[in-house]
Amino acid sequence: MNKDELFQLVIRHVREVIPELEPHRFEYSDRLQELGANSMDRAEILMLVLDSLSLQVPRVELFGPKNLGELIDLLGVKLQAA
Amino acid sequence: MTQVGIEAMNVFGGTVCLDVAKLARHRRLDNARFENLLMKEKAVALPIEDAVTFGVNAAKPVIDSLSQAEKDRIELLVTCSESGVDFGKSMSTYIHHYLGLNRNCRLFEVKQACYAGTAGFQTAVNFILSQTSPGAKALVIASDISRFIVVTGEGGEETEEGQQLTADWSFAEPSAGAGAVASLVSETPHVFQVDVGANGYYGYEVMDTCRPVPDGEAGDADLSLLSYLDCCENAFLEYQRRVSNVSYRDSFDYLTFHTPFGGMVKGAHRTMMRKTVRAKPDQIEEDFRRRVTPGMTYCQRVGNIMGGTVFMSLAGTIDRGQFDSPRRIGQFSYGSGCCSEFYSGVVTQEGQERQRRFRIDERLDMRHQLTIEEYEQVLRGSAVVRFGTRNVALDDQVDSISKATRYDGERLFLRGIKEFHREYAWVS
Repeated sequence: MNKDELFQLVIRHVREVIPELEPHRFEYSDRLQELGANSMDRAEILMLVLDSLSLQVPRVELFGPKNLGELIDLLGVKLQAA
Repeated sequence: MTQVGIEAMNVFGGTVCLDVAKLARHRRLDNARFENLLMKEKAVALPIEDAVTFGVNAAKPVIDSLSQAEKDRIELLVTCSESGVDFGKSMSTYIHHYLGLNRNCRLFEVKQACYAGTAGFQTAVNFILSQTSPGAKALVIASDISRFIVVTGEGGEETEEGQQLTADWSFAEPSAGAGAVASLVSETPHVFQVDVGANGYYGYEVMDTCRPVPDGEAGDADLSLLSYLDCCENAFLEYQRRVSNVSYRDSFDYLTFHTPFGGMVKGAHRTMMRKTVRAKPDQIEEDFRRRVTPGMTYCQRVGNIMGGTVFMSLAGTIDRGQFDSPRRIGQFSYGSGCCSEFYSGVVTQEGQERQRRFRIDERLDMRHQLTIEEYEQVLRGSAVVRFGTRNVALDDQVDSISKATRYDGERLFLRGIKEFHREYAWVS
């Protein structure tokens, strides 16, 4: 899966958890917290993404990314290591 | 196999409390964020209160319900806390003294953030199961306070210690409570009979939240949530590995959780229902209402009391649940840093009747509701009892407390510290 495909997958799940973001044009620099996602929303988005990727990784290992771009980079690293 | 579990349990949720919505408005907290908390009130510790007074006040009604012979069989008294008053001397020593317990008793304290209550409880359970002293009882007291002390900076401006340590303090303040749960553990588990051997524990190193300095907290709420969720899943998986035919949805009539705030539990429950049984949103909502909300009854009125919170969730479930036939409760405990455990037990009608004798909710109703000004005053007044205080006299505050608040029984308060020795007084 390339970076853009990952991005689309993440966006899909963000919209699933926060339907209000349907019309939003996502950028790599977007911060979920600023888009209105609270901590539980963000944890759910993460869970849905990990599920879709069949990636068995503790959630705490995905803590750290400051924006969507950084999250996708980290997911890429984890996918390669899996 | 010896039966074991909770013979009697009581929660003490403080003498004064604060409406959380009021606090949120005062701190100009984001409304959406506040609603996610699912909280009503938080207990606030007065300067004349500490984890010792909370612990004694939770235990007193339990002790008073015992005969002298039964009281004398308490051979283990463990305090579970992150609000200790000394690096060596455990609070159990003070509690032992003021409850007038038998000296042939082990006294010590355990610590692992909000897991401490479970740590103490499982220690007591194993003491009973070992039968090294048949007929003995154990008193487990999980007691904690949150004292966010307001200190005056050099220029005379007020700074809040918490803010220097965590950016999210404004979010933590509404949910940080004060309280204690006292559980008498024995071979006659009238209130909660433990499923022996049904334990899924899961722990590892993570720096999510902690108390690296006295009277101050540090950490990252987001990381803590992720760790909580990882543990929720893995502790249950281990439980499932040890116990045959377990279903998250069908094996437990109720679920209790360590509850930093209600919203977090709602999210964790939703995550588990999706993961384990692929439940749909409306099924999850119904399940949450039926199985989880009874456990939030007292947590919503007291706040996060660290190690005791999960037992406060259990007490709420026992008081509010339906026990026309015996019901199994699944309990999830989590403490930052971290350690977690999923375990279970059975509650009967008799257990509920016994538990209700302590009228936990009525006593919560008796608390004085602080105004914001009074609350700020309490924060400022707490400076005189900060950790490490060598000498202070608080008699006048103790004298006025019975006029200021009502209670149906005796309560213990801190009347002073002399050369680091803490002195308490009973007030009727």
